[in-house]
Amino acid sequence: MKTLIIKCLMALGLVLSVYSFNVQPVMAHGEKALEPFIRMRTIQFYDVEWDKQKFNVNEQVSVSGKFHVAEDWPVSVPKPEASFLNISTPGPVLIRTERYLNGKPFMNSVALQPGGDYTFKIVLKGRLPGRYHIHPFFNLKDAGQVMGPGVWLEIAGASANFTNSVKTINGELVDMETYGLSNGILWHIFWGVLATAWLLWWVRRPLFIARYRMLQAGMEDELVTLNDRLIGKSILIGVPVLVLAANMMTVNQYPNTIPLQASLDQILPLSAQVNAGVVDVETLKAEYRIPNRAMMFTLKINNRSDKQIQIGEFSTANVHFLNKELHVPSQVGSESMTAPEGLSMDNTAPIQPGEQRTMTITATDALWESEKLDGLVRDADSRIGGLLFFYDEHLGERFISSITAAVIPKFN
Amino acid sequence: MSVNISNRSFRPYTGEKARITRAYDYLILVLALFLFIGAFHLHFALTVGDWDFWVDWKDRQWWPLVTPLMGITFPAAVQAVMWEKFRLPMGATLCVTALLIGTWIARIFAYHYWNYFPINMVLPATMLPGALVLDAILMLSNSLTITAIFGGAAFALLFYPSNWPIIGMFHVPVEYGNAQLSIADLFGFEYIRTGMPEYLRIIERGTLRTYGQYATPLSAFCSALLCTLMYTLWWHIGKWFATVRYLNKI
Ligand SMILES: [Cu+2]
Repeated sequence: MKTLIIKCLMALGLVLSVYSFNVQPVMAHGEKALEPFIRMRTIQFYDVEWDKQKFNVNEQVSVSGKFHVAEDWPVSVPKPEASFLNISTPGPVLIRTERYLNGKPFMNSVALQPGGDYTFKIVLKGRLPGRYHIHPFFNLKDAGQVMGPGVWLEIAGASANFTNSVKTINGELVDMETYGLSNGILWHIFWGVLATAWLLWWVRRPLFIARYRMLQAGMEDELVTLNDRLIGKSILIGVPVLVLAANMMTVNQYPNTIPLQASLDQILPLSAQVNAGVVDVETLKAEYRIPNRAMMFTLKINNRSDKQIQIGEFSTANVHFLNKELHVPSQVGSESMTAPEGLSMDNTAPIQPGEQRTMTITATDALWESEKLDGLVRDADSRIGGLLFFYDEHLGERFISSITAAVIPKFN
Repeated sequence: MSVNISNRSFRPYTGEKARITRAYDYLILVLALFLFIGAFHLHFALTVGDWDFWVDWKDRQWWPLVTPLMGITFPAAVQAVMWEKFRLPMGATLCVTALLIGTWIARIFAYHYWNYFPINMVLPATMLPGALVLDAILMLSNSLTITAIFGGAAFALLFYPSNWPIIGMFHVPVEYGNAQLSIADLFGFEYIRTGMPEYLRIIERGTLRTYGQYATPLSAFCSALLCTLMYTLWWHIGKWFATVRYLNKI
């Protein structure tokens, strides 16, 4: 009996482990899991902001931001034909109530265009109190999860107070937390009772050994009696009749149902925000010095604006390298991913309107290593990508370029 | 194993002997129940998987095709043993009941308490009506061929109508974000699943869609045909696995 209990527990454990495999509670959500070239050259997030980070159950919170889809999309990653803007949470501790791309609401997946610029906004509502690390991110079909910057959110209050009601097209107000639950349980109980009755009908008699012996002895007709056959016939007729009747009842009760929706949303990119043709940047060379943890770019910059401009920031895979000479606003909530003095250049003079200049800039910080971006030099695809932010002298206007280059490692 | 005792030599067990064989019955039953809860449930989670987990995966095309096809496997194998050796026509019902017990435990504990999903979003489907009919047909016909053809077909054809009373109300339309969604779709949108983007759902893909509105009956008939074959295959698997060696020694 003891081994039996152990076996039962093991079976149960096995079952639960399969489920835990299927619905991983995503605490360590693999921000660094993808190869660096995918994190740097697919979805380039910037200006991501949360309207608050402490709020209550039932309270709304929104995250908004921008992203550029890299022109130099890696050849080994399928094109973003179906992409889903998601939120990494440990289960539905928040619910997503609204989501916008370029100001348009969208419910399904969407095709993104390499080189395209987009703004997004996701509205969430607190459901379970707690403290959670949360990122907006893109599920890219056949490629994986490309994370946006993460923040800690603190939800206060009691989960029992959570409400979520929705109005159907017929005008009926339904509570999503319990809708259809008691009906579903009732049907499961109904069929469960019938099935149990059928099982008990057989189990109440002597079973295995006796029946086996009787069958061997040719006493088959005593094993299945006339009564059994009668019940069998009523199951054969009664169950399908019940099923069809219940089905008809449901069809009559809900005459206007629709199939699950499976369309792709169509949302076109904004007019160019990055590489908008005002400041042109060509990357002549990129070199990574491993001991110094420094990425050096040689850039050819053509300032076609009517302002003097300076480089304020280089950002890639949510890591920000700031030019300390220029007090540019750092991205909110991303302090741990920012190197405030990480960007230096060989010529700090502003670039004049109409000037063409070739210069080198260096992004230096241990973040290359801690964010596992330095693995790039040992990848099959060792091209880097990122966004370069130029500012005018008043830090008023900003010009953004998406740069890309093959990286050459310097081992010592 | 030939039947060599042709005369009716068996007397019902009485006294101590009856008690022991009865205890043996219960032991086997409990073991079988847990074995099926574990094994069938595992098999089901790995094959039908998301179709059974989520309300927004229970579509009209793939769900009624895949679920009965994968659901008829264990019932067929267990029926083969229970009917051939013991003339007990309850293999299918026993299996599906075990599956449902396991499924409900997992939905409540793994999905609801551990991962916070509302239970109505992860209601399991039922295959009990099909299983009952399958058992009844086997008992009445005492024939593999007839059970495979009619029982297999009934198992597949009864699946969608017996589940529509459970999931039908989740297909009521909602106007949301400038689009028409079913309540089921809205569950998928609102209750965040990090590893389950919308595009992963296999809905209305492939050539079955040519028939538009008739997707479900077509899927069900397709499934019925395949279930017939699947039933026969797993009947033989069940027979091949089973042994009554231990019974012969008693
Ligand atoms: Cu995180």
